[in-house]
Amino acid sequence: MFALVRLAVIGFVFLTIVYFIVRIYMRSLEAERLEKLWEEEGRPGTMDDFVDRGLADYERSLRRKLIWLVYVVPTLLVAVLIYVVNFM
Amino acid sequence: MRLPSWKNVKRTLKVLLVLLVIAVLHYSLPQHDIVRITDTYEKRIDPGENRIFWAAPDIGNDPNVQNRDVFFIQAVRPNGKVIVYRNEDTGWGWPPYFKFDTSDLQAEASDLKSTAGNPKWVSITHYGWRNRFLSIYPNAISIKPVSGPDVRIIPWASIFILAALAFVLFMIRRMWLQFRERMVDPAIDNVSEVIDRVDSQADEAAERARGLWARFRAWLDTWRGKPRP
Repeated sequence: MFALVRLAVIGFVFLTIVYFIVRIYMRSLEAERLEKLWEEEGRPGTMDDFVDRGLADYERSLRRKLIWLVYVVPTLLVAVLIYVVNFM
Repeated sequence: MRLPSWKNVKRTLKVLLVLLVIAVLHYSLPQHDIVRITDTYEKRIDPGENRIFWAAPDIGNDPNVQNRDVFFIQAVRPNGKVIVYRNEDTGWGWPPYFKFDTSDLQAEASDLKSTAGNPKWVSITHYGWRNRFLSIYPNAISIKPVSGPDVRIIPWASIFILAALAFVLFMIRRMWLQFRERMVDPAIDNVSEVIDRVDSQADEAAERARGLWARFRAWLDTWRGKPRP
């Protein structure tokens, strides 16, 4: 029991760190993309407004929500591994 | 005597680190042996100096007892050399095989025992090393009957794990480069502008900001409170 709790706690802390790093990275990529888009569209308004609006859209997008897979995929992987190793 | 140069010390440490990573991977990744099982037995084990090469007591049992019975599987390779496997739960611990079916595996192994005259060849998936000086044994994970001693097994699991590790390293590098481009470099520009204005020793500061650590420090400084106008 203790070993399972230990794995769950360490796994949760580790994946939370990964989750936030991936979130910051994806947002940074999106901001860079928006800055380039602003240039291409002939600089409508100020760049900050354009990027802020784009990032607000991004925060509601599916791509942003898919980052939760950081938690889902390893959990599923462990479940599949337990099945394959012990019950196949 | 000349002291070793810092460059050589760093190079040596890097080589040691790479060797350590390779050793850990070689120990932990699954490997397949084609063997003939000759016997199965259990033996009491009191792990000592070789403690880290033994896994956990069966899941659900008291994890604090010092000694316990461990299952073993004796086998012969096609070339006639013998190999002994241990058969232990890894449970929820390291390496992450999540193996709980030790007793079932032992029953399968007993069922597949055969003699040299009428051999039944099996593929034993295992991790770990056999070392006579440390009395350590590879841990069997699963057993599968195969048609003969020359069967070729493709190590899909290892291929997948190594590919995943390579992908993770690649992404860490991408993330680091993105972080530097978007956060650290602009911060250095800001910092050196301020220095230009305030201090005539800008050249010296730029010199210091060249190293990676200094870039990081400069980025940290951007989080400091700015003087209000």
